[in-house]
Amino acid sequence: MAGANSTIQVSNLDFNSIKSNFITYLQGQNTFKDYNFEGSSMSILLDLMAYNTQYNAYYLNMVANEMFLDSAIQRSSVVSQAKLLNYTPKSSAAPSAVVHINFTGVNSNSLTLPKYRNFLSAALDGVNYNFVNVDTKTVNVFNGVASFRNVEIKQGTPASFTYTVTSSQVNNLNYVYEIPDATVDTTTLTVTVKQSSSNTSFDVYQLATNGLTLSDTSRVYFLQESLTGTYEIAFGDGLLGKKLSPGNIINISYLTTEGTQAAGANSFQMMSSVGGYFPSEVVSVLAATTGSGKESIDSIKFQAPKSFSAQGRAVTKNDYISAIQENTLGIPFDGVNVWGGEENDPPVYGQVFVSLKPSGGYNLTGTQKIRIISEVIKPISVMTVVPVLVDPDYTYIKLNVSVFYDPSKTNLTADQIKSGVTASINAFGAKELNTFNSTFNTYNLLSAIQNYNQSIITSEFNLSLQKKFFPNLANPNNYNLIYGTPLQKGAFLSGVTSSPDLSFASGNIILSGMYIEEVPSFTVGLESVSVTNPGFNYQETPTVTILGDGTGATAHAVVSGGKIKNIVVDTPGNGYTTALVTITTALNDSTGQGGSAYATIEGGLGILRTYYNNASSVKSTFNSNIGTIDYAKGVIALNNFAPIGINNPLGQLTISAKPSTSIISSTYNRIITIDPFDPSAITVTVIPKTNS
Amino acid sequence: MAINYFYSDLDLTFLKKPVDGDVSMKYNEQAVIRSIRNLLATNRFEKLFQPEIGSTINQLLFEPVSPLSASLIEDEIARMIDNYEPRATISQIKVSADPDSNSFAVYIAVFIGNQASPTAINIILKRSR
Repeated sequence: MAGANSTIQVSNLDFNSIKSNFITYLQGQNTFKDYNFEGSSMSILLDLMAYNTQYNAYYLNMVANEMFLDSAIQRSSVVSQAKLLNYTPKSSAAPSAVVHINFTGVNSNSLTLPKYRNFLSAALDGVNYNFVNVDTKTVNVFNGVASFRNVEIKQGTPASFTYTVTSSQVNNLNYVYEIPDATVDTTTLTVTVKQSSSNTSFDVYQLATNGLTLSDTSRVYFLQESLTGTYEIAFGDGLLGKKLSPGNIINISYLTTEGTQAAGANSFQMMSSVGGYFPSEVVSVLAATTGSGKESIDSIKFQAPKSFSAQGRAVTKNDYISAIQENTLGIPFDGVNVWGGEENDPPVYGQVFVSLKPSGGYNLTGTQKIRIISEVIKPISVMTVVPVLVDPDYTYIKLNVSVFYDPSKTNLTADQIKSGVTASINAFGAKELNTFNSTFNTYNLLSAIQNYNQSIITSEFNLSLQKKFFPNLANPNNYNLIYGTPLQKGAFLSGVTSSPDLSFASGNIILSGMYIEEVPSFTVGLESVSVTNPGFNYQETPTVTILGDGTGATAHAVVSGGKIKNIVVDTPGNGYTTALVTITTALNDSTGQGGSAYATIEGGLGILRTYYNNASSVKSTFNSNIGTIDYAKGVIALNNFAPIGINNPLGQLTISAKPSTSIISSTYNRIITIDPFDPSAITVTVIPKTNS
Repeated sequence: MAINYFYSDLDLTFLKKPVDGDVSMKYNEQAVIRSIRNLLATNRFEKLFQPEIGSTINQLLFEPVSPLSASLIEDEIARMIDNYEPRATISQIKVSADPDSNSFAVYIAVFIGNQASPTAINIILKRSR
């Protein structure tokens, strides 16, 4: 027998390599010679050993994988690794809506709306969802009317669970009390402890978030996810948090939610009475937000290290982002962006800007913003830095898509292709846009359209950007609409447009049917020529030549002391988009050299005006200058804009402009999105290929 | 070792040799015959990671006992020996159906190594369950 173990290689992990290793090893001996024949008994033994070796190797590999956050696959392993980083995976979040509730004929001075009254949503896909209010509210009654404003209601069913503490549980420091519902929304968790069953009063325990502030009397509980995926709570050991005593009664109450299914519910009916009264109306203020399911394994892997590196403090940009992502007070969100005031335009020193895009909505409410600042950011941010929560600034994309397709390659009708392409574009929007720091990528849009169906030969699109805002109808105001990308200088009717029509006051008359447009300017000549290098030793005035895509521009140089002092534009010319200035030394000047200059093209700022069509349908200008367009910066400014009416039930004005580039990126609080509520946001025209 | 064998293999019965108590072994022809028997008794997909090694004889035993089944078993035996037993060269394979006892009588004659005369293997194939 060969003695040396050097013939056995331990690095092989697959069956065939392990078996061939054994065979190599057996080649060194004479006793068993039939190791290399499939039918031999030796071969059967080798198969068994190789299988066993591979099984163990695989098993060890898996065990090692589960030991690290990066490679763990099982949820329980990921959760356990995250626990070391002091990270508790987020639970399901209930969709929440806001309603006003009005009661009439109330015969008392005040009315109290207790917690967890039932509301039923109108059917969504045939299912009515149960909502409950999450806070107790009391209002005063005026003239028999009690009006609860902005009541937050959450989708879910209240549930509670009671544990009686035994002495063995108290002595076991690792004892945990399980919350047996998998769909609990832990932000709604209320934990109370009664001294014993004979007591009526109880203490409310809070979720422990910071170990530094805990003492032996802190009434706190610790929350963690269990190995089976439910949540469990633990109590203090008498040093970190108050210790329980035998006979204590723990009551855990919470909401179990159906997650995202109730998203969008916006009509509610109250199912239980309040003080014997049923509401006269329940007005929906905000439709139910999306909500969310339990945090995914991938998300835990992503969030836990970031949350750990922030160490519960917000100093860097990523600290803020992870602190907010970790705790949005139960508000589901699509994205967060943070930037320092020094990066802002204009710079604001000593502030940090935070922008949060809630899921299924556009902006946070005022209360939500104040709560996020005071409860999430302020406690962990540096004292001299003022956090400011700004609303996302939406730029809407309006697409006019033409799709050319071959009807012989598909059995879909033109209408089916049309709706399919629309759906593909919406999916593209959801995937690539609709969050911070995103880029509108032409190639990806065209591929999304192309990939919808093989019959599509080619497609093209016409893009315009829209800003939507609510002008103040009472007082004149200045508005700055930032498109975030250079705008096209448009010709008549193809540049900046507005909808719907506006009304303006002219003396005592109200003129309606007004629109905003760009004042047409066809001639684009040179505004000025600036000297970048005056040169030296010019004895004669050099010739200035302007080359570009326009015609007719001329200029002359003014020389003083051998240097070019300035260059004067004689005729601005027209039709220029680029111009190059060449300085040629005069023929009889042998020494002058080195002068250079560049040209600035006029029309960097366009002008906006309002117009209407008068009784005889003739277009008339109402106000020839209501604002400017900065084409290069992509900013439209409306100055002293004072419409008195907008022909739109929401009072929303849309101003569209065409970008001069089709690569559009969003920065800061800007979000590029396709408006899901605008049916005309995507227009698809399908053109069948005709075979003739 | 006193005698030098061409082929030496374990005996899967794992019986003790009465003389020295060592595990019993099979040598030369006996080793090859045992190997062929092992191959024929192995079903497809039975060997881990090597699903292709093995015969369909087991399934064929549940077919009607007829000359057709016998012929298929013959082919299967030939295929197994050709593919997986390089030490044996087939001289003759004969499978006769015995419907009365619900079995097949198998006669295999193979040249083992460079033997001058073939070695005969007689097996009765009968389904056991």
